[in-house]
Amino acid sequence: MNLAVKTQGLRKEFALGWFGGRLLAVEGLDMEVKRGEVFGLLGPNGSGKSTAMKMILGLLRPTEGRAEVCGYRAGTIHARRQIGFLPENPYFPNFLSGVELVRYYGKLSGMGGSKLEARIEELMELVRLGREAGKRPLRTYSKGMLQRAGLAGALVGDPEVLMLDEPTAGVDPAGSREIRDLILELRGRGKTVIFSSHLLEQVEDVADRVIILHRGKKLREGRLEDLLSHKGEWQVRMQGIADGDRRELRVWLENRGVRIVSESAPRERLEDYFLRSLPQEVRK
Amino acid sequence: MIGCLRRLLAVAGNTFLEAVRQKVFAVLLLFGLVIVGGANYFTEFSFQEQFKFLKDLGYASIGLTGLLIGLLGAAQLIPGEIEKRTILTALCRPLRRWEFIWGKYLGLLFLLGLMVGIMATAVWAVLRWKEGQLIASEGSDPAVADLIRGEARDPRMLQAVFLIGVKLAVVAAMAVFFSTIATSTTFVIAMTLMVYLIGHLQSVAREQWLESGETARWWVKSFLVVVSLLIPDFNLYNLIDEIVAGNAVHWRATLEVAGYSVVYIFVLLVAATVAFEGRDI
Repeated sequence: MNLAVKTQGLRKEFALGWFGGRLLAVEGLDMEVKRGEVFGLLGPNGSGKSTAMKMILGLLRPTEGRAEVCGYRAGTIHARRQIGFLPENPYFPNFLSGVELVRYYGKLSGMGGSKLEARIEELMELVRLGREAGKRPLRTYSKGMLQRAGLAGALVGDPEVLMLDEPTAGVDPAGSREIRDLILELRGRGKTVIFSSHLLEQVEDVADRVIILHRGKKLREGRLEDLLSHKGEWQVRMQGIADGDRRELRVWLENRGVRIVSESAPRERLEDYFLRSLPQEVRK
Repeated sequence: MIGCLRRLLAVAGNTFLEAVRQKVFAVLLLFGLVIVGGANYFTEFSFQEQFKFLKDLGYASIGLTGLLIGLLGAAQLIPGEIEKRTILTALCRPLRRWEFIWGKYLGLLFLLGLMVGIMATAVWAVLRWKEGQLIASEGSDPAVADLIRGEARDPRMLQAVFLIGVKLAVVAAMAVFFSTIATSTTFVIAMTLMVYLIGHLQSVAREQWLESGETARWWVKSFLVVVSLLIPDFNLYNLIDEIVAGNAVHWRATLEVAGYSVVYIFVLLVAATVAFEGRDI
């Protein structure tokens, strides 16, 4: 029972009209996500990430196979109590305000009264939409604000598992960094986070394990360290070394049969540089 | 149980709020109110004819506006949510699909109830204003004044408004059913209007056919029986015309029509739930 999500032989076919044949979206997907893990579902567009998520959420019925959430069959009320979901695009009723949206989702989760109101206040603070921002209609929100409001909505029922479908798609780097920080904070609180993305740098920052899908099939699965580490290579970053010493070190290494693969001054990532360039108050 | 009620009311409340915040419904309501108010300017008839005309047009306005609001509202329910994909973030919660359907219907009923209430109040206000106007011009004779008051304060108005509300509730249930199997709002509106028309014509067609004395093959009869069972007979609501004509209509007959409507609403919502239960979102 240490698994948050488990799928076995998950398969989904869609009928393409009456005479259009069938489209295979996901085939034979076996997946296990441990509790407390941040798990990335990777793959190009049309690889079956969203379909797999929807089957776990119970929005689509698998053609074959089964999915479980915290030991409950996917799609049942018990399973859905364990999941919070943030869709790829902000598909929210935009006639509501941020607070009304979270209240609506709280009521759909069977919550109410002062407990719900306290939870709304706590979550709006967590996603930094407290006070006036939360009272504005959603149609006046930026994409980043909408994603944060959606995240508060996903968390309102205090779910064990959080499923985020492309949470940073269309969000600027600052907003994207905020969402990344929220994911890390949620992991710190013991939540399981499953998210799909094709922005691989962001996945690398937060995911413990990933699965790579292509045309509905699993290509790779594993811990990021295991998948990305170059076996038999070692990298050292140092400061204060003189040019002469560096050349000498190189010769010393080559004399011992070491092949130098690359040697360069370390570069900052553009995203970090961009965020560092913004004024302090914007970064916060 | 409390959780279930909360979820139902949350869906209903949200449906109602969405409709209220959409200006198209306000425009439709305004259209209805203008028709009701405009009817007051036809003054060349006798006071009985004027009241009959006012009531006829008032009830027709409530019915037509309610039909448009019901159709547009119901067409938005499921296909609209699927098109906007807001359904994803609702149905991934611990919300049963039947709760979603019945909550949506309840929200639509709140909306129709409010609309019928506002428009009926407007009709009542116009009748009372007319009463004052006619008593001032023609009511010097106490007997005539009593007749005018009798026409303006006819308690059968309650019966007529009740029947309009019940009829709209059946149309809304039909639209909800079609919205669970439809992929577009146009389909919902077209199918509901088609069934609405068949429901109005079926008893007329049946009478015509019986009068003609023709015999039909067994399969034609079976088909007609199935049609008459599947589609509600909207001519039953013509009791409203009787009320407008000044004929007595017993509450018992009104309640029988209401009972017939409740059965249809229940069957339609159960069918909608079954259809929606297995649908991929």
